[in-house]
Amino acid sequence: MGFILFLALFADLLSPFAYDRVYFDRVLLMPFEHPEHPLGTDEVGRDYLSRLIYGARTSMMVSLSVQMIALMIGLPIGALAGYFGGAFDFVISRIIDIMTAFPALLFTILIISVLGGGMPTIIVALSITSWIVIARITRAQILTLREQEYCTAARGLGASEWRILFRHLLPNAMSPILIAVSFGIPTAIFAEAGLSFLGLGVNDPIASWGKMVGASNAYVRVYWHLALLPTLAIALTMLGFSFLGDGLRDALDPKQKIRV
Amino acid sequence: MLGYICGRIFALMLILLAVSIIVFSLMHSVPGGPFDERKGRLPPAAKANILKKYGLDQPVWKQYINYMSHAVRFDFGIPYQRPHTTVAKLISKSWAITVQVGLTTIVVAFGFGILAGIYAAYHQNSWVDTLVTFVSSLGVTVPNFVVAMWLILIFAVSLNWLPMGGWGSSGQCLVDKYFCTDWILPVIAYAIAPMAIVARYTRASIVEVMGEDYVRTARAKGLSEIKVMRKHVLRNAQIPMVTALGTEIPNLITGSIFIESTFRINGLGKYFVTSTLNRDYPMIMATFLLVAFLWGILYLLTDIAYTMIDPRVRLGAKSLS
Repeated sequence: MGFILFLALFADLLSPFAYDRVYFDRVLLMPFEHPEHPLGTDEVGRDYLSRLIYGARTSMMVSLSVQMIALMIGLPIGALAGYFGGAFDFVISRIIDIMTAFPALLFTILIISVLGGGMPTIIVALSITSWIVIARITRAQILTLREQEYCTAARGLGASEWRILFRHLLPNAMSPILIAVSFGIPTAIFAEAGLSFLGLGVNDPIASWGKMVGASNAYVRVYWHLALLPTLAIALTMLGFSFLGDGLRDALDPKQKIRV
Repeated sequence: MLGYICGRIFALMLILLAVSIIVFSLMHSVPGGPFDERKGRLPPAAKANILKKYGLDQPVWKQYINYMSHAVRFDFGIPYQRPHTTVAKLISKSWAITVQVGLTTIVVAFGFGILAGIYAAYHQNSWVDTLVTFVSSLGVTVPNFVVAMWLILIFAVSLNWLPMGGWGSSGQCLVDKYFCTDWILPVIAYAIAPMAIVARYTRASIVEVMGEDYVRTARAKGLSEIKVMRKHVLRNAQIPMVTALGTEIPNLITGSIFIESTFRINGLGKYFVTSTLNRDYPMIMATFLLVAFLWGILYLLTDIAYTMIDPRVRLGAKSLS
């Protein structure tokens, strides 16, 4: 997993070729067929190794920024709704109800169909659906913590509402939220790969594992490497990040079981 | 109980209304429409005629009311991508296939999942248990289109045992056009994730129930192992299983988009993707309403199923969280 992040960060230095460099005379090479392309080339003659490395960058960029945005929106909204309750909480809860009334994937596809494809749109669309998860968990956490004795004690000592919320409640609510974020990363990786796979994701010529799998569908009978390599990349990355989530859960919160 | 169900149905109606308003306004807020000319221009009169035919010349709120008054009578209009049929017909045709995919998958996933879970729970730390745990953590994390691709590579490309795609078109079927060889790969690929979840749930809940005092009592009074399992363990382990069932079934019936796309199955998911690509408003609206409706109904049914399995559960009572 660290390896994937490393690939994503240093994609420019590591790749033997640019991800969009096309060799018209080297189309659909098998791995090791040409000394300069250890993993072969794709259907328009781009080096497959380079595209896999740049695919890591796309995947990481989308998933990490989606989770960051989700955290930045979901955390304050969930905290305020949980702590102050009232009309704001009512509105937020109804929004959450509506958004969970149908599959998040369909909603993401709808937003993309409205805004058009491309990397920024995907990040926006996925953030719109994933802040809900963070907001829901934050709200539930704050709701239970609000009634604890130390909160009453702090109030008795004359702490302001904001101080209680930020100094006492949020730090205690943090670990389930962090776990939710870490499980949200593989979800976002899956969503990006899946959307690109359907042809609704990032635009050409940006490399994306999902898009590579989708494109390979037509060539899979002969050029098996086109399908195998990106699917392996997706599977390994997602396994890595969910192990990270499991580890984080065991470390931070042995009793809690969060299902995202 | 009845009041509770009525309340839930009312809430579902409100949510459907909200969903329809959101989707409708989203679809209409973007510039561009289905009849924008890219190649040659239409004469203005002809374009006005087309817009009038489809009701697109009226204000948005009027279009919405017009649409909804037809929608409650299951008339969802005409899909722009296929003007010779109706949305209702296209959806019922494609949804029939999606339901076939989903139901077969549910049977496979829950059948094998529950069996594997029970076996793993009764043989803890055996190699089967390890295998079940390993496959289920793999099945939960790896996306189904990735699994689908691997299955295609192994069984269709290198072994050449099974067809790569299609649904009921391979010619080798058990019954007429059902249960064909080309059903096998999509169903396995689609079933692995829910099967993993079911196996995990089943294993965990059985292990928990087996540690209870009443199971020890049942054993102590000399009941046979089979009877203990049937009357005490499984009956109490059902509740978490129903939870898994309740959350997975709506997913399975509605969301096989990736599987349909990988195996070229003409189901609802595939039409949903093509209609978003073509901005086919009537199709998108109808699909969304249908999916939201199904989700709501299925979740309600799950909650009712709880009370039938476990008389201790009272619906409508204030929950703690």
